[in-house]
Amino acid sequence: MEQQPNIYRKMLAAAVSSILLESGCDFTEKECLGTLTEMMQAFVTEVAHLSKTYCELSGRVEPILGDVILSFVEMGFNFNSLENYVKTSKHVVLPPLQLQQPQKQLNMLAAGSKQPLSVHIPQHFPQFPDPHAYVRTPTHKQPIIDYESVREKAAIQKRDIEKALTKFLSKTNSTHNIFDTDESNIFPLIACKPTTPAYLSALLPQDQIFDAEDLDIDPKSQILQQQKNHDKAKNHIKTENKSDDDKRETLNESRTSEDSANNSNYIDNPYLAATKLPGGEIMEIS
Amino acid sequence: MNQDEKMIEDNNMTLGQPLSDFLLQLEDYTPTIPDAVTSYYLRSSGLEPKDPRLVRLISIAAQKFISDIANDALQHCKMRSTNSSSHSGSKSKQGTKDRRFCLTMEDLTPALAEFGITIKKPHYYV
Repeated sequence: MEQQPNIYRKMLAAAVSSILLESGCDFTEKECLGTLTEMMQAFVTEVAHLSKTYCELSGRVEPILGDVILSFVEMGFNFNSLENYVKTSKHVVLPPLQLQQPQKQLNMLAAGSKQPLSVHIPQHFPQFPDPHAYVRTPTHKQPIIDYESVREKAAIQKRDIEKALTKFLSKTNSTHNIFDTDESNIFPLIACKPTTPAYLSALLPQDQIFDAEDLDIDPKSQILQQQKNHDKAKNHIKTENKSDDDKRETLNESRTSEDSANNSNYIDNPYLAATKLPGGEIMEIS
Repeated sequence: MNQDEKMIEDNNMTLGQPLSDFLLQLEDYTPTIPDAVTSYYLRSSGLEPKDPRLVRLISIAAQKFISDIANDALQHCKMRSTNSSSHSGSKSKQGTKDRRFCLTMEDLTPALAEFGITIKKPHYYV
């Protein structure tokens, strides 16, 4: 839009130049041409302005010849010699203005066919861009689950980790030099730190499991088993003592109560479990 | 007073009449200034004539306006050059025949002064 007035102005300058050529000037200063162009523009604009004013003064919207004549008179322009001017001299005709062709965008990177606008989008909206700008094509690579390759991968990973760790240690910890020189340490060896006493690690049991949770036997069932054994042993003692039936009943009652109590507040802790009576031998006997 | 008005009217009639005849001739005449350019400037100041002949009339008027000024300036130029050539002698007589005229502000300023236009360019006019 900024370019438009410039083009008209250029055309006006061209017209002025051809008029000057007609009248016999071969060259002109740039300043003169600018002045004359400006004057011509001012003339046309002023005539238009005055014509419009006269037209509106007489209550019309469309300008007629009379308005233009009045504006000529107002400006002090002698229009009587116009006909003579037209007839006497042959005037150069500038080529008509041509519509500027909007520069076509080079479609160098066009890919695929553009998607037409959806129904809900008005047609005057801009077109969709090239499909590659928004269409996504997922390309998933199938993972290799072949045994050999998996093993190989794992081995490589393991080796890499070891290498990296070694490197890290050799750089952060103290190192031994493989050669007995003070030159740059090309093959650093991780320094061995002897512990005192050296045999201690061998004596410390490391392969035994001391955690109760790691045991295969369920501690709960173990405790119940202990309880049963304990009761059995008690019964055994009682029968041996040949006690009364009444006494046995009360004992049974107490046992049931004891059982229920045991079930209700059972604590999974070997130290809080019921004490184990040395009834193992008795059981074996019975 | 009344007579004066009548005279003016008569004058207008006599002035306007040939012009309206002339306007009819403009049908197939193309002025130097393209119609599109003139109508652009007309539109920019609010005038939008439906008759293309009006546009042409204004174009021709502008053309004549500039042409008159150019002619005057050229006369000045010629006068100045003949003056200077007479001073320099007969040597440049050969040159006058194929002399080429260059319009300068020196010539344009007095020519415009005759039209009642004083030009004072700003110092930094581009």
